[in-house]
Amino acid sequence: MASLGASLLLLAFVLAAYTVAASVAGARRRNSRLIESAVGAFYTIAAVMTVVSGVIIYAFVAGDYSIRYVRRYSDSVQPLFYKITSYWGGLDGSVMFWVFLLSVFGAVAVKVNRDRHRELIPYVVAVIAAVEMFFLFLMVIHNNPFTTYLTELPTDGRGLNPLLQNFYMAIHPPMMYLGFVGATIPFAFGMAALFTGHLDDSWLRAVRRWTMFSWFFLSLGLTLGMIWAYEELGWGGYWGWDPVENAGMLPWFTATAFLHSVMVQERRGMLRVWNVTLVIITFLLTIVGTFLTRSGVVQSIHAFGEDPELARYFVAFMVTTTIFCFGWVIYRLPLLKARHELDSWVSKEAAFLANNWILLFSAVFVLFATLFPTITEAINGERLTVGPPFFNRWMVPIGLILLFLTGIGPLLAWRKSTIDNLREQFMWPVLSAIVGGAVPVALGVRVWSSGICFALSAFVAGTLIQEFVRGANVRRGMTGTDLLTAMIGLVSRNKRRYGGYIVHAGIVLIFLGFAGNGFSRSQQLLLKPGEEQIVGNYTIHLDALRVTDDGQKQMITGHVTVKNAKGDVIDQMLPAKWYYRKHEEEPTTEVAIRHSFAEDLYIVMPAFEIEEQTASVEVHINPLVNWVWFGFGILAIGTGIALLPEASLSFAIAKVPAEAVTATMLLLSILLSSGAAFAQHVETGQDPRLQLVSPKAREVAHKLACWCGGCSRLPVGQCSCGHCANERNIIDGMLKQGMSEDQIVDAYVVKYGGNQILSEPPNSGSGRVVWAMPIVAGLGGLLTVAYLAMRWSHRAPAPALPGGVEDPEMAARLDDELRDLD
Amino acid sequence: MTSSATLTEEKEPFLQPWQFFLLGGMLAATATVIVATGQSPANIIILSITVVAVSFVGLGAYRILSPLVSNQPEQPITIGGRTRVALEREKMLVLRSIKELEFDFAMGKIAQADFDEMSTRLRSRAVRLMKELDAGGGYRELIQKEVAERLSQQGTIRLKPDATLKVEAQGVCEACGTQNDTDAKFCKNCGARL
Repeated sequence: MASLGASLLLLAFVLAAYTVAASVAGARRRNSRLIESAVGAFYTIAAVMTVVSGVIIYAFVAGDYSIRYVRRYSDSVQPLFYKITSYWGGLDGSVMFWVFLLSVFGAVAVKVNRDRHRELIPYVVAVIAAVEMFFLFLMVIHNNPFTTYLTELPTDGRGLNPLLQNFYMAIHPPMMYLGFVGATIPFAFGMAALFTGHLDDSWLRAVRRWTMFSWFFLSLGLTLGMIWAYEELGWGGYWGWDPVENAGMLPWFTATAFLHSVMVQERRGMLRVWNVTLVIITFLLTIVGTFLTRSGVVQSIHAFGEDPELARYFVAFMVTTTIFCFGWVIYRLPLLKARHELDSWVSKEAAFLANNWILLFSAVFVLFATLFPTITEAINGERLTVGPPFFNRWMVPIGLILLFLTGIGPLLAWRKSTIDNLREQFMWPVLSAIVGGAVPVALGVRVWSSGICFALSAFVAGTLIQEFVRGANVRRGMTGTDLLTAMIGLVSRNKRRYGGYIVHAGIVLIFLGFAGNGFSRSQQLLLKPGEEQIVGNYTIHLDALRVTDDGQKQMITGHVTVKNAKGDVIDQMLPAKWYYRKHEEEPTTEVAIRHSFAEDLYIVMPAFEIEEQTASVEVHINPLVNWVWFGFGILAIGTGIALLPEASLSFAIAKVPAEAVTATMLLLSILLSSGAAFAQHVETGQDPRLQLVSPKAREVAHKLACWCGGCSRLPVGQCSCGHCANERNIIDGMLKQGMSEDQIVDAYVVKYGGNQILSEPPNSGSGRVVWAMPIVAGLGGLLTVAYLAMRWSHRAPAPALPGGVEDPEMAARLDDELRDLD
Repeated sequence: MTSSATLTEEKEPFLQPWQFFLLGGMLAATATVIVATGQSPANIIILSITVVAVSFVGLGAYRILSPLVSNQPEQPITIGGRTRVALEREKMLVLRSIKELEFDFAMGKIAQADFDEMSTRLRSRAVRLMKELDAGGGYRELIQKEVAERLSQQGTIRLKPDATLKVEAQGVCEACGTQNDTDAKFCKNCGARL
């Protein structure tokens, strides 16, 4: 079976090579037979990859442990579902899964666009096949998932990492990969347009949907990743700026930028070079993402030493692709020239420029901060950590600026807005912002950053409602129907615009969830059975500590009864620790969560003593968290509407797109039905002593990064692993001895022999680079945008045509055509 | 073996190639299920899916090879008509811009003076494009129609492709055979004078 799989991979590689050669030759010699044949080969790759996937899944399900990959990521006691998802549990299989998805996606994209973009297709096929070739080459040469054991054949596997044996983690990578792979299609069309020189807007039309599709799956992947982190890692949050999460975020930023700037090209014919560039960058970032996600280059600081060959291949591919692509962009610059004119700074174009600048800055910043530790170590051997506090310092204001732009963008008109318009357009949104900000602040919410976030959310919500209502009113005036019909007609006539607005509404809800993060509370309790303690509005009562076993793992469960302020029992919750067979040294922490729209009650049991029947319980109260997931559901509905075919009639709009409903329902039902979700966090090291830690110690611990290896450098004050619990105890002890905060931090730097223990790099030495970088990049981007805008706005306006010279006959025809367009 | 089998199928269109391969795949999957009795259901399902996928590989192989060996005359890819398409696209763009401008104006986002100025500019551009389409586009279509007719006639007399191209000399490069725009003076591929 292994040799069958390996030879099929080789076959796929040969087919990909043939596809590239035949389609390029066919296109250059205008030989339609060759092109036909190349497209056939392209479809065949998809079929071969399906067969290979079938082979490896069969190997997993049938338990063929002579294959190394199968042995490493599964074992016989694993449930069927996880046996199948083990396919993408490791690097080799992920690469194969990537190629599989890309080949299927590519086949569909080519099939759909064959007739409409005949001149582009040969090159589209060639580009996608070339990308597949690289990954197939990797598999054939270096990461073959079908490598077998030569001598002794193991009888059972080692089992998938317990952390990955979770529903979200099983479906999160495929969604992420769908997003990544989807971004290759626009890239292929962009490159084909560059090769052929057909650089008008037709390629954009072909890729718009694919970009939206890819963007949707990236968003879904990121959301699932957040849910996973929230329910698994047990530290009470959902976004820890983990390198792997960042990898998914990078193409999301640039794809978002592209979806916005593409509108400028469509409406105004501007930014052509920029759009091609964005497509290329997005593709390159998905490759970076795939690389970071699975190779572990960034996660483990020594990964370069572990597999330098893989890193070399990737770097070589990236460098070649970058030079090749941008070489073509430069070569085609004359064709990409467009007449740029910026009539006013107060216009949609200018808002889009700002939006692109911010999004690209975010991508550059996150990429740089993620890679910084690896870079410094490679250059001068100094180990540093760039932890969540550093990211938040920059990304919180950036997110708020983006939210602000979300609000003002729709209010501005193309070309220019005058003072009178601005007054009329901004009055209601600004009023709602003031109310939305003042009320929470009056209720005691901090102004920065939650208060501002609430105000901006209200601002955007005001904008959106105003847009819908005014648009519907105008339409009602035009068509003479009632408000609701007008509203539906409005959306169906311009699906992308109003679908986009609905996406914005989803973003607002997500930001509300983020704002809620600003006033979450957590408390550590030490309880014996029968004892209870009050946290916020809840009374936490420990009933018992029980030990059970289900064959695959041993489970220690804390039975907790939760009562509300009146003393009524509202829930039974079961935080636990699981010890998987063969992974006993890495127990997982099972989180118990009680979901509600106002707040989540989140209980973890990081430590226990079974003889003394004592449990250390961490209780987090997280307000508004569920709005993040709910907002994603709205976002999915908006994307679905924007994706509806242009031709679908207005009644089609009444049907909400099925995928969106499914996604929302899935997320909501999963989240809201189960009172106690099962979640895990793999730990290393010994169980911590049971001890209460003062809040001050936690504060100090926030300045230090966790080096347990399981989590991704969360601050010690936040991480729920045993190692960090111990460190917090030690810090508490140091505080009691009278040491100051700085002394403790210094002591840790000495103890760990370097600054890598700090969760933010110090603002000195090479750490200063990472502090200076956002300022330099941000200012540089701002200056570039400003320079371009100045240049464009100084262009002499096109000579104004005297009005009234219109030929009456032509004018009548024009009016007719305009009427038909509706 | 498979390709010869399908070629015979193709002569009498009883089965399309894909139907043939899918049917073959189904049969093979059925055979697999019979052979694999006793294994767990999951195994059997995965095996059958894999076997059906194999039949698609066969279909793919057919699609790679059949264009190479087919004896149908090769159709040159027509790139023509692009200028008309581009013009129409531009017109659509301008019309949509006018629509959006009117909508934005109705929503109170644009001042009257700006609206008048932009509207005049856009409308005159739309009219210009419509005139261009009226004047230029028609000829091009006529020419293409005629070329297509002549080509099909030549095809029935079975002249060599080169010869057909020479008959329709307008815009075709003698050096490399590239189809250029009708008004081109030099070949866009090799640079030779036309």
